[in-house]
Amino acid sequence: MDKNFKEGQFQGTIKFTPPLSKQRYQFIKDLVAKYRPKKVADLGCADCKLLWMLKFCSCIEVLVGLDISASIMREKMHMLSPLPVDYLQPTERSLTVTLYHGSVAHKDPCMLGFDLVTCIEVIEHLEESELNKFPEVVFGFMAPSIVVISTPNVEFNTLLPGVTSFRHPDHKFEWNRAQFQSWALETARRYDYSVEFTGVGHSPRGMENIGFCTQIGVFLRKCPQTGGFAPSDKSSETVYKTVFKAVYPSLKDEKYLQNTLVGEVVFTAQIIKQSLLNHLMSEREERNDNTTERKAQLQPCFSKDTRKLGVEKSMEPFVKGNVVYVPLKTIFSFPKVNQLCGTFEKLCKLIAGKVKLSSGGYVLLLSTEHEDG
Amino acid sequence: MTGRARARARGRPPAQGTAPPAVGAATAQETLPGQLPRSTKPQQPLAVSPVPEESAGRGRQRQTRNVPQGQKERKPEGLQIAAEFQELSLSDRGGRRRDFHDLGVNTRQTIKHVQESKTGTSGSVIKLVANYFRVMSRPQWALYQYHVGYNPEMEARRLRSALLFQHEKLIGKTHAFDGSLLFLPRKLDNKVTEVFSRTRNGEDVKITITLTNELPPSSPACLQFYNIIFRRILKMLNLQQIGRNYYNPNDSITIPDHRVVVWPGFTSSILQYEENIMLCADISYKVLRSETVLDFMYSLYYQVEESRFRDACAKELIGVIVLTKYNNKTYRIDDIDWGGNPQHTFRKADGSEISFVDYYKRQYNQEITDLNQPVLVSQPKRRAISLPGPVILIPELCFLTGLTEKMRNDFNMMKDLSIHTRLPPEQRQHEIRKLRDYIQNDENVQKELQDWGLNFDSHLLSFPGRVVQGEKILQSGNVFDYNPQFADWSKETRGAPLICPKPLDNWLLIYTRRNYDVANTLVQNLFKVTPSMGIKMKQATMIEVDDRTEAYQRALQQSITPDTKIAVCVLSSSRKDKYDAIKKYLCTDCPIPSQCVLARTLSKPQTAMAVATKIALQMNCKMGGELWTVEIPLKQVMIVGIDCYHDTCAGKQSIAGFVASMNQTMTRWFSRCAVQTRGQELVDGLKACLQTALREWFKWNKCLPSRVIVYRDGVGDGQLSTLVSYEVPQFLDCLKSVGRDYNPRLTVIVVKKRLNTRFFAQCGEALKNPPPGTVVDVQVTRPEWYDFFIVSQAVRNGCVSPTHYNVVYDTSKLQPDHIQRLTYKLCHMYYNWPGVIRVPAPCQYAHKLAFLVGQSIHKEPNLQLSDRLYYL
Repeated sequence: MDKNFKEGQFQGTIKFTPPLSKQRYQFIKDLVAKYRPKKVADLGCADCKLLWMLKFCSCIEVLVGLDISASIMREKMHMLSPLPVDYLQPTERSLTVTLYHGSVAHKDPCMLGFDLVTCIEVIEHLEESELNKFPEVVFGFMAPSIVVISTPNVEFNTLLPGVTSFRHPDHKFEWNRAQFQSWALETARRYDYSVEFTGVGHSPRGMENIGFCTQIGVFLRKCPQTGGFAPSDKSSETVYKTVFKAVYPSLKDEKYLQNTLVGEVVFTAQIIKQSLLNHLMSEREERNDNTTERKAQLQPCFSKDTRKLGVEKSMEPFVKGNVVYVPLKTIFSFPKVNQLCGTFEKLCKLIAGKVKLSSGGYVLLLSTEHEDG
Repeated sequence: MTGRARARARGRPPAQGTAPPAVGAATAQETLPGQLPRSTKPQQPLAVSPVPEESAGRGRQRQTRNVPQGQKERKPEGLQIAAEFQELSLSDRGGRRRDFHDLGVNTRQTIKHVQESKTGTSGSVIKLVANYFRVMSRPQWALYQYHVGYNPEMEARRLRSALLFQHEKLIGKTHAFDGSLLFLPRKLDNKVTEVFSRTRNGEDVKITITLTNELPPSSPACLQFYNIIFRRILKMLNLQQIGRNYYNPNDSITIPDHRVVVWPGFTSSILQYEENIMLCADISYKVLRSETVLDFMYSLYYQVEESRFRDACAKELIGVIVLTKYNNKTYRIDDIDWGGNPQHTFRKADGSEISFVDYYKRQYNQEITDLNQPVLVSQPKRRAISLPGPVILIPELCFLTGLTEKMRNDFNMMKDLSIHTRLPPEQRQHEIRKLRDYIQNDENVQKELQDWGLNFDSHLLSFPGRVVQGEKILQSGNVFDYNPQFADWSKETRGAPLICPKPLDNWLLIYTRRNYDVANTLVQNLFKVTPSMGIKMKQATMIEVDDRTEAYQRALQQSITPDTKIAVCVLSSSRKDKYDAIKKYLCTDCPIPSQCVLARTLSKPQTAMAVATKIALQMNCKMGGELWTVEIPLKQVMIVGIDCYHDTCAGKQSIAGFVASMNQTMTRWFSRCAVQTRGQELVDGLKACLQTALREWFKWNKCLPSRVIVYRDGVGDGQLSTLVSYEVPQFLDCLKSVGRDYNPRLTVIVVKKRLNTRFFAQCGEALKNPPPGTVVDVQVTRPEWYDFFIVSQAVRNGCVSPTHYNVVYDTSKLQPDHIQRLTYKLCHMYYNWPGVIRVPAPCQYAHKLAFLVGQSIHKEPNLQLSDRLYYL
């Protein structure tokens, strides 16, 4: 219980470890791990830190940030761009990250259909008029499966050093637990959500009655989304401005799948070729140890030892003249290739025209020419 | 040698601090305890390295950076801001921070005779186009720097911004603000402006905006600012930053045969050049590999014996730059910790212990599957003092970049690569223009530029250059002209007698049984080609050995007599250990010249004669012979060439090759090298080299040279100020110490090959490579330097790369034209290539020597060899 803060010498100096902001983000990450949402939006995303943390969560396919200040988002938005490695090794999941400039008091259809909407330390910055519109926009219009709202618990302020009125000059209000909970319960009731209260930042021992430093409400929509809501109901004009958009490379995109697959196929074929040639070489050396022939001309010959590559007899690769013949079935039997394309037909279709194939189209041809050094 | 560039790119001694102000820096005065605009700070606040020491805040790093670290040079107060700015642009990725452009090293002002003009005069005029765009700004453009103070003090930066920008009308939409420093493209009405803002809870705050600096366009701070803006632009264009350059992953080229992906991109910098501020843009290619370090280790494991596995890993991986799966940083692998594994723990910034597996799982959702893999160690380069401790990386989470030595030696791989990366002039120019088009066509980018009152010229810079006349090749009374288009005289001089042929009368030829035929053919062919050269040749002592290193060694030990002139070894493979052992023995313990040749090279009948000719010439040089010369009008001049090799493996020592001319025709050279051990300055060794070279010169000429001209290669970006403030004075010291009345004229020229500058010759509508001998000393040179470019070599494919010469010290009073001509002449004097090369011959000799010592010998060769080009 005492682990997450250190009590100073004097009553009233509290330092949270890890910092409270991190604890809030960790709370969201845990929630994501629990519910595995696909579409997540962060309202009031500011410097995009939470979004950056969430982009590593493999369940999320759509990640959206919304903030009233475009310049703050712009400062760090590039850390939401794909990394070079994302291009080198595209993953199965697709991910699109979008940042919008706009207000939580306005409805925009781009916010529809989300599984999770987070609203971390935002509502206390809203003017009364905005706060009044907030429930209708978030719960009524966006209507995601889960909403998470966090806000300071003003009761805790007495324990915070140097805080006289509000924790931040821009706060329009800070609620106690009763205020927050009544607002939350009323909102939940009106829009048919259930709500659970929790928080981060435990109070010190003996003062548990004060509650968490940050209070959190987790809202779950009671009725599951009735499959395919009619967009016309909710249609309204787009008012948000797109500030940033990044589409991550994904194997779902045929271009990346093809690239990755061709790479893997060629690499696999090279391994097969190499082991075949090594095998032939050693066989040759054994046989004609005294030959004066210096340049090894590879004779048509079948290898019998390709079973170690996990290959069935019917699809054995072989060498003929200067060409190595590797049946696509052999390549398909390699797990990595198999995993990428799934079916043999898809393999054939995707690599067609990208690699040199036999006239029948089922055998990959490689030249042995490079190997005479 | 490709290995060289790589070796150099990796190990460089740390650069020193900022040097004296540049010409344009006149107004960059006031010092402020400034913070950097946050917008340009590294982008991964959470990307804490898993090593505790690393995760300390940036603030700490900055503090320590301002403390001069063991350097005598004091940083001028007025440059504090400029220095901050330098950090700013370079710290963009949190990587190494250095002034890569050697800003503020003003060497021209110390050279009296080039104050008026530093341009040459000879040669014919040629129309050139260069890969530069002028930066256009409004007339009287300046950048205004303000300090912003708050009363009462406001802590939160966000709030500070919000309060300040309540006065957007006053400040304007375009600004860069970091919470303390404000940069504006226009001047406010008053020097000090006081405004009041009200926080949302009704608190009144007085904001004082004070003008602290008016930065003219050419000031270093301003130039850094341009570069920052430009980086912003490249990001806006969705280019991916890797290292210093920006790449376009969408146009990537995959070479699946080698598991390599090539990203095209741009390298760019904005600097003050002779007359204008310009953007220098070139295309750049990044080689990335679609395999992790762990994948690579696995495949290596199957290729080598178990016992050699760790060594093989170290050899292939150390020095390689990796990218990680979780952040946008690059790391250099400095070591592999075989004792470590991902289950080991480390202490986080908050003091808690966590294992690597758990950390990466929790922080980045990265699954580590192989729990027994070793870990990689990366030493942060420059923060070593303030933040000790290396960065630990997990092989499975790291991707390889660049080419390994093995790949570089793979002819097919390099061929496949060059198809994509070696563009002919026309195409290269087209690609460069693309950048300009991207900028032109992107609305956001245009807006950003307009807001700052900046733009780029739509045309590449064009200006006149000069092509100096070709040299005549003088060889034993014969005079040869060569075709300037190819800059090669192998055909012209074939069969002509050499200036100084050395008899090949007592020599060894060592070969394996398998290579008896080729060895024999070599001897026969040498008998055919040597007579016309004037080389008296006798039959070799033929020695057959087993194909083992020890067998070669034993043969050498047993057969070499004091009269042996040279030992020739025919090797059956390019295995380095055999070559190294032979070279080491014959350069140190038993100093005689040696010639190694691959059996494969000799085996092709169609090239056998050409190869024999080349070998004959090379052996002749190694034995102290001379091939050709060009006319050198200067008398009593000693030319010195210096280049460095930075050893990446063996103890990370650096080696400087030092070569000095001994005669007027520049056909004889004295060669030594300085091996720098840890903690010792390379310059100490160079001083000793220069001393012995002068002594040698005296022996040869019975006098001392009245001029010494040093061509200094191997100076990294950002090291110029060190060179000027340490090395040059040491040279002067050394000359002074020779004798009281001895006062020769010294010229020090820094030679640089790794440039982004490209020249294209305009031939009607078409663009071609400029011909060899093209000299450029206008427009793209720097006003604060006495510098010029020469295109000396000819290339068959792709674009020719000019060489940059920067005369950093000169008391010779030689006209620029003469220095340029002399430099070009010296590019004709490299005996391993019957043609013009990229750098003056002494630099190439010095390179060859340093490379041999660094790669194979690892200690200083025997001085008995120093009067011959034994390392060719």
